Amino acid sequence: MQVIDALAAALADLLREDPRRVVLGEDVRSGTMIGITRAVAADPEVAPRVVATPLLPATLLAHAGGTALAGLRPIVVLPSLQAVLEGLAGLREIAQLAWRNGGERTAPVLFLVPCGPGFCTGADAGEGGEGIVARIAGLKLVCAGRRDEIVALVRAAATFEHGEDPTMVLLPRALLLGELDDGASAELGRSPLSAHTLRAGGSITVFAWGPCVETAAAVIDERGLDATLIDVAALQPLDREALLAAARATGKIAIVHAGPRAHGLGAELAALFADDAIYTLDAPILRVTGDDAPLGPLDEWRGLPDADHIAHALTTLLQH
Amino acid sequence: MEPTPWDPEGAAVVLDAQGRVAQPGVPIAIDLRAYYKALVSARCLDLRLAKLGLPMFASCSGEEAPLVATALVAGELDWIYPSVRDAAVAVARGLSYEEFAHALISGCDGTALPGRVAAPSVRVAAGTDALGVHLAIAAGQAHGHKLAGDGAITFALLGEGLTTTGVFHETLAVAIACDLPLVLVCRSQLWPQGAPAEAGVLGDSVGERVRAHGMWERRVDGADPIAVHQAIAAAAARARDRRGPALVEVVVSQLIHDPPAHRDPIERLRRHLDAQGQWSATFQDVIEAEVRGRLDRALAGAGGLSA
Repeated sequence: MQVIDALAAALADLLREDPRRVVLGEDVRSGTMIGITRAVAADPEVAPRVVATPLLPATLLAHAGGTALAGLRPIVVLPSLQAVLEGLAGLREIAQLAWRNGGERTAPVLFLVPCGPGFCTGADAGEGGEGIVARIAGLKLVCAGRRDEIVALVRAAATFEHGEDPTMVLLPRALLLGELDDGASAELGRSPLSAHTLRAGGSITVFAWGPCVETAAAVIDERGLDATLIDVAALQPLDREALLAAARATGKIAIVHAGPRAHGLGAELAALFADDAIYTLDAPILRVTGDDAPLGPLDEWRGLPDADHIAHALTTLLQH
Repeated sequence: MEPTPWDPEGAAVVLDAQGRVAQPGVPIAIDLRAYYKALVSARCLDLRLAKLGLPMFASCSGEEAPLVATALVAGELDWIYPSVRDAAVAVARGLSYEEFAHALISGCDGTALPGRVAAPSVRVAAGTDALGVHLAIAAGQAHGHKLAGDGAITFALLGEGLTTTGVFHETLAVAIACDLPLVLVCRSQLWPQGAPAEAGVLGDSVGERVRAHGMWERRVDGADPIAVHQAIAAAAARARDRRGPALVEVVVSQLIHDPPAHRDPIERLRRHLDAQGQWSATFQDVIEAEVRGRLDRALAGAGGLSA
């Protein structure tokens, strides 16, 4: 089963489970560009709550916030991270609603946002736009890192047990296109706002998120590296204590992420470790990233560091 | 009386310049003395706030009718999204002067925008930093109420300056396409300050442009509080009956531009009430003294401010 199909089925379940949930977006009644809403649009029980809007590049995100203020639990399916950048002004406003209203109003909107290389669309695939979005105060931003976990992550985020602020789940296209193993879990078993450990090793600590998590795991497994692998997952707010503990444990840190190196979230993590873990570090903090944007459609995979690139960096760090 | 350059063409009135009913037989189904009192209160509030020297404060004197009428027409469950210089809406909706002063001076934990108040207790929404985004949020909330089927409608206030923005046009598009219970109340001026003639705004009718979009609209004279109330009430009734969104364009004259007296909505309604024997100097003095006294005490209590 493809990840997209599992996600589509999960979305239909979410709508059946809570009548406050609605799906909003421009092409949601026709399945969206990647098919995530195909199942909800085809199910007569929930289809009335699949609401297509006209093209609203500047205001869709604010509009969704308004529907949440009326008591709904909107799930907005966007075509790309670029759509978030177009609606940034509105996203800022709804992310700050609770603060501006003394906590008396909240806008629990869930945004599902495909990002990164995968569909040969170029454009935002190489931009690493999560670094821009993560700076919006009040927004919760998480990024799916493993195919097996995408459905559980979206389900957990949709409950808003982590707080009723607008929450955005980034869905790397490279993962959406993949096949799902049979062992995929339905429950996340942790807060969607937490980092988690995928491999436990004693010599180096590798921090990754999004499409780089599975690649890094494969590199560590194939080469038998003695490395801890952390899926950062929660990009805003960062799971600071868990990240710092993992960094201190080995003192040798590699940060692996998609998109360009400069001004990205990798720099924020490096600064966090420099601030609060500097006395336990035994090597310079290493960043492994994609190439600089803009990248054309046929070059978009250069927005991701490849396995050889990651392997070379981790081996170098191990020998430091 | 001959129309002056301050009087808009093609804007509906109930009262003429002297406060006489222009079209006898049109029923006036509101308590005019209560409406008058609310308008005077809004004026007193504006004059008092102007003395506080708040950063970014802009006077709304002369524009009270759409603010107060929106507050009076809105139902208990409806939300109002004000624009800048619309602080009077919250008070007209029943926010106490103490709560108002607290919200104005300390904000909701210091988060209110200058000169604006967030008043969730009376369903008046906080302002937005980004120009016009409150329109998009209001449309979204109207959409939410429609999908929830709870019967509530949503109001948003704006000035004509916002009608050139993308947010305004997207709001019209989604309100029409999704048939939202949204009432937009737009104030426009015949002589907008700072607007260049080449911007295509001078003498233009927002109502006509909105009608071209396919939305129900009415253009009324903001100097006539009764016409303003009737238009907003009609728009709200349509939205409540699920007949779709509406925009009411209210052509106002700001008093800071020193228009003739009949352009002041309070003076026009006063003339009307006076002719009916329902206004007296004492009535006026009592309203003003009450509002000023309560406001002064509230402001002093909230932050020791004095003008």
